[in-house]
Amino acid sequence: MKSYVGKQITLFQFISIISGSQVSVAVLNLPRKLSEAADTDGWIALIIGWALSLIAGLAIVGVMKYYPNGTLFDLLSEYMGRWAGVLAAMLFALYFFYLMYDGLVRTILVTKTWLLPTTQSFVLMPLLLIPAYAIVRHGLRNVARYAELVIWLSLWIPFVYLFTLKHAHWLYLLPILKGGWVPVLTAVKSTIYPMLGMVEIFVLYPHLKYKQYAAKGIVIANSITMLLYLFVTIICYVYYSPEESHLFNDPVISVLKSIEFKFIERIEVPFISYYLFIFSLIWIPTMYLISFCTAWMFKQESIVVPLRLLIVLLVIGTYFYFPTYNVSTYLGGKLTLIGLTMEYIFPICLLGYLWLYKLWKKERSNP
Amino acid sequence: MIHTIARILLVAVMVLLLSSCSDQLNLENATTPLVLGMDLDKNEKFHFYLTAPVFSNRIKKKSVEMTGTAKTLRQSRSEQDAQTAGSTQGRNYQVILLGRRMLNYEGWFQMLDVIYRDARNTITDRVIVVDGSVPEMLYLNPPDQPMLPILLRGIVDSSSSHSETVSTTAHELHRQFSDKGITPYFSQVKIIGGKVRIRGTALVSKAGLYRGSLDAQETVLLRILQKNASPGLSLSYQLPQEPKKSPFATNTISFTAGKIKTKIKTGFENNRFKYDIKVSLVVGLSEHLFPFDVYHDSKQLEDIISKQVTAQFNTLIAKFQNFKVDPIGLGIYARAHEYKAFKKVEDDWGEVLSQADITVSTKVTVSSMGPVK
Repeated sequence: MKSYVGKQITLFQFISIISGSQVSVAVLNLPRKLSEAADTDGWIALIIGWALSLIAGLAIVGVMKYYPNGTLFDLLSEYMGRWAGVLAAMLFALYFFYLMYDGLVRTILVTKTWLLPTTQSFVLMPLLLIPAYAIVRHGLRNVARYAELVIWLSLWIPFVYLFTLKHAHWLYLLPILKGGWVPVLTAVKSTIYPMLGMVEIFVLYPHLKYKQYAAKGIVIANSITMLLYLFVTIICYVYYSPEESHLFNDPVISVLKSIEFKFIERIEVPFISYYLFIFSLIWIPTMYLISFCTAWMFKQESIVVPLRLLIVLLVIGTYFYFPTYNVSTYLGGKLTLIGLTMEYIFPICLLGYLWLYKLWKKERSNP
Repeated sequence: MIHTIARILLVAVMVLLLSSCSDQLNLENATTPLVLGMDLDKNEKFHFYLTAPVFSNRIKKKSVEMTGTAKTLRQSRSEQDAQTAGSTQGRNYQVILLGRRMLNYEGWFQMLDVIYRDARNTITDRVIVVDGSVPEMLYLNPPDQPMLPILLRGIVDSSSSHSETVSTTAHELHRQFSDKGITPYFSQVKIIGGKVRIRGTALVSKAGLYRGSLDAQETVLLRILQKNASPGLSLSYQLPQEPKKSPFATNTISFTAGKIKTKIKTGFENNRFKYDIKVSLVVGLSEHLFPFDVYHDSKQLEDIISKQVTAQFNTLIAKFQNFKVDPIGLGIYARAHEYKAFKKVEDDWGEVLSQADITVSTKVTVSSMGPVK
């Protein structure tokens, strides 16, 4: 077993990583996705989605309580044998890769649409990866510190969105439940993708300084994420008419275009440049996690070699192929189902298994 | 050794990435049109017009105008570049001018698609209708007035801050066109005696067809009904019961509204929408040209004013119903409160509203009479 002394992260850093990877790029089109299914009632679906994510998050923490001093892979090796650990590490490395790739692709597409339309994707990709490499290379603690820093630096953003309330039409939110519960429940599907990222706990847990607060941490992280989504979604719904709210691809950015200051036109430009920090909260932690999973499979302590391989793969791969907007949407859509399996169903099943296993063992030991 | 190579590689990569600065543009090489005009000529052919400021001391005229015909706005790009020294950047128009003639046809709104689709365009440009022809306004260049973009934006912003016209931005126009519970409206300008002047508000149908105009005072009332009027707006009425000493309108009373409250109650009865609108104004008198004992008879004065205002509100609503437009956005109230009934008729809202039963009542409270008794 590995030692985690000197690699510990605080509760706030833990919350920052989880919330950060949930929000990152997912927030951009969330209001549209919700309104496509449930019109302006989409925000109700967010609350249901939040409740579901709490169940999943608590299940993940519950699983880790069975083996507090190791990662999920150590746990599985302990309970089922090393093959299970390796299999899980492989699956999770692939899953984190999917999350990371989706985040990077979205970021590059957004940057290309709004900031640098004539710059090639394969030029932007290394640009994003160089700082990521510099951070991830130094291990989890640096990643955690980076996430914390970004969260502190971004606290002012919600206040800018309040400027758009000048054009708000609150009547657009009425009537509540206009189409009944069915559209709202359909919209819950769209809340899964923006809540993904919780499984990072499987690796982060042993690094936590105060493990007794882990459950609290996931509740706080999911609640912060939900409140932020709720805020942004309602802003978009009172700003755009119900017919308009599914017309804009990334309403969270488009909303900013109406803000007028005397000293700056097109305020969304500095914003998207700034948002790159927030977007990076998906790929920087997942890059670490991919490298960690790979290193674990080969019983390595250092993550540097897999990290370099990953970066080279991304840079070269982007040169030959880069998804279009439609492909990216398709990838994101698939992520809903895959994420549901990995982050909701898998932890709950595993928790059930561990519970039964313990029960069975107890019965065997004292008949 | 490996570290040195890694560093050199890193620097090399960074230097290569400077290539992303390739789409830079020097200000000297850019022409930045601030007004985009669109109009149809006598043969119903689409023309575009642009004015851009010229930064040079050798040139006396401070702006350059461009014009041409094109199928669409984006297509007109090459035509624009052919006429100016620099590369034309149609990215931050201050004002979009529409000729009145365009409003005789449906589909002009689709022509503006590029404004919304090209993410680099601003959407806070004011949309203004020209009562007359756009080229006439663009080539006017009066020597005693500021440049057209500054002038137009200035007069629209200042009049709309007094609620005397509306300030419809490109984004707001998009909302008004897509929201089924409201019909579009924008400010209107006209050349009168060689000067550019605001002429109230133009109303169009959902399809974009011109329906009618409102004058300044009617626009103030419209803004009150939209709950969009800023305090400080001013209204004047001529009271028929007071004597008038021609040629002076000595029967006039003017007041400034401080506190404005509008309440709209929505109902649906007998297959008709029913609106009960209550407006309450707390006003300060700014002039009354006839003798009146405000101190003792303020109640009577309030009644007289309320009656005048209510009458004008009713004429205004009758006008909307006659034009089959809904610039107030009553449909938004219908959707919020009578969702099922509204959903059935939303595509035909102008027609349905013209059958609706709308009552307006006004309550005016005189809070101050000024320093003169």
